[in-house]
Amino acid sequence: MPQEDLKGIRLNILEMVSRAGEGHIPSALSVVELLYSIHLNKTKNDQFFLSKGHASAALYAVLAHFGYITKSELDTFCKYDSVLGGHPHKNPEIGILNSSGSLGHGFPIAAGYALSKKIKNEPGRVFCIIGDGETNEGTIWETAMYAEQLKLLNLVAIIDNNKSQTRAMTSINLKDKFLSFGWEVREINGHDLSEIAEVLFNKNNINHPKPLCVIANTTKGKGIREMESNFFTWHHKAPTELELEMFKKEVLK
Amino acid sequence: MRKQFAKTLLELGKDDKLVVLIGDISHFLLKDFEESHRTRFYNMGVAEQSMMSMASGLALGGLFPVVHSITPFVTERCFEQVKDDLCYQDVGVNIVSVGSAFDYASLGCTHHSYDDIAILRSLPNMQIVYPAAPHELDTLFRETYSNGHPTYFRLPAKSHGLKTNPKFGEVETIINGKDVTLVVAGPQLENANNAVSELKEKGIECDLIYLTTIKPISEDSVGTLIKSLGKTKKLVTVEEHSVIGGIGDEISRICSKVPFRHTRLGIEDKFLLNYGSYEEHCQANGLTKEGIVKAIHEINR
Repeated sequence: MPQEDLKGIRLNILEMVSRAGEGHIPSALSVVELLYSIHLNKTKNDQFFLSKGHASAALYAVLAHFGYITKSELDTFCKYDSVLGGHPHKNPEIGILNSSGSLGHGFPIAAGYALSKKIKNEPGRVFCIIGDGETNEGTIWETAMYAEQLKLLNLVAIIDNNKSQTRAMTSINLKDKFLSFGWEVREINGHDLSEIAEVLFNKNNINHPKPLCVIANTTKGKGIREMESNFFTWHHKAPTELELEMFKKEVLK
Repeated sequence: MRKQFAKTLLELGKDDKLVVLIGDISHFLLKDFEESHRTRFYNMGVAEQSMMSMASGLALGGLFPVVHSITPFVTERCFEQVKDDLCYQDVGVNIVSVGSAFDYASLGCTHHSYDDIAILRSLPNMQIVYPAAPHELDTLFRETYSNGHPTYFRLPAKSHGLKTNPKFGEVETIINGKDVTLVVAGPQLENANNAVSELKEKGIECDLIYLTTIKPISEDSVGTLIKSLGKTKKLVTVEEHSVIGGIGDEISRICSKVPFRHTRLGIEDKFLLNYGSYEEHCQANGLTKEGIVKAIHEINR
């Protein structure tokens, strides 16, 4: 059951970060449904790149859910000799195609990969999750420009629009900006599995005539009310044992 | 050098994994490549950071990208992309720069770049190749472009006119001597060679050792350098680069087992605020035959 799967993933995120005393929970909670749907539905010809690397805990929890890594490996999150760091380290064997952490790098890497597929006439698409705050980086817009110029119709940018950047940029209109860069833009509820699957994987939507930008409206800290209402406080903070128990109960409700 | 670059690329273009990205320079130079391989030639305009990360993605996709632009823009400007997306992920992107040091003499400090070797050699996995004659470029590029690691090729505008036998990772002993070890990279090989001939007539004999690879330098080659320094105990390094972090520093680092005195000829810790020509900048910075002769006399006193 997807809803049960999502609960399990959220619990793992909370436990990993709490155990490590390190990690970005609210940024991970906002992309759980997106990561889940992409890993559930993508074909062997598709690739996925995470550009907002600080959502690593969500990526690892989803990879564990789909069997790329074991649940016990999650216990090593952020430990000295772990392969699961605070930001993802390239490890294709477990489904991590790029190292990320510094913002504005994963998107042009994904675009480069999409170009390599185009050069080689390879089927499939390249999905990339970008944070809304990450769009402050100039390389996001350079890459948006490249994708139009190079006609990267196999590239799908998914913006995790969790309002992270509202403290800095109060009135950025991502939809108009991507439209003006020559992209097809769709706006969805990024926590609704059927909307995600529809826009990304419905066969009528697979062949987009332009590079596709999906603005996924999400809630930073989704599922934990305390984090949803105080996401700046919780951006880079681990819960105490007491808080962890409280948050877990809320997720399981 | 540039013509050789175009020629080598065109020949290697038969390899359908080779992809060329230019930062809006050398369009005419690379026209033949573009016409022969339209799907593997892209003018990426002036967005060097994203061009570099795109190249990383191309390499992750199994291709051999060559990124080409002016030195400061493909080294200093996109340093973090080179660090995170090329070196940290150890992907085989080739950066080919023109206009290093003061090759664009009259264009001023934004277009000078004499810290490129210093910053790039600090990055793990980075390979640095510095050919200074067309045959060196051809040999070294063919030898390395597909070896799966990030490689920086620094192409100077001037070529030396000497016959050399470059091999990736190895130093080349051009002349054997006994009094002073002279280590040189780039087109200054010509001045160094002339200086050594002149000094020989005055009874000073130098080991002249030439570098076309700055990083990595093989254990055998380190052995060659250490053997020479063990004998002469005097080192003069010559480079069209800052004396901070360049070839002088690299030789000093890898030969630290043996004691020696060291004079570094290069660009002092300053911005070059003059314009004019390449030759004028060489004169002003002591990068001449006379400058080298003087340095060797002083260290050999």
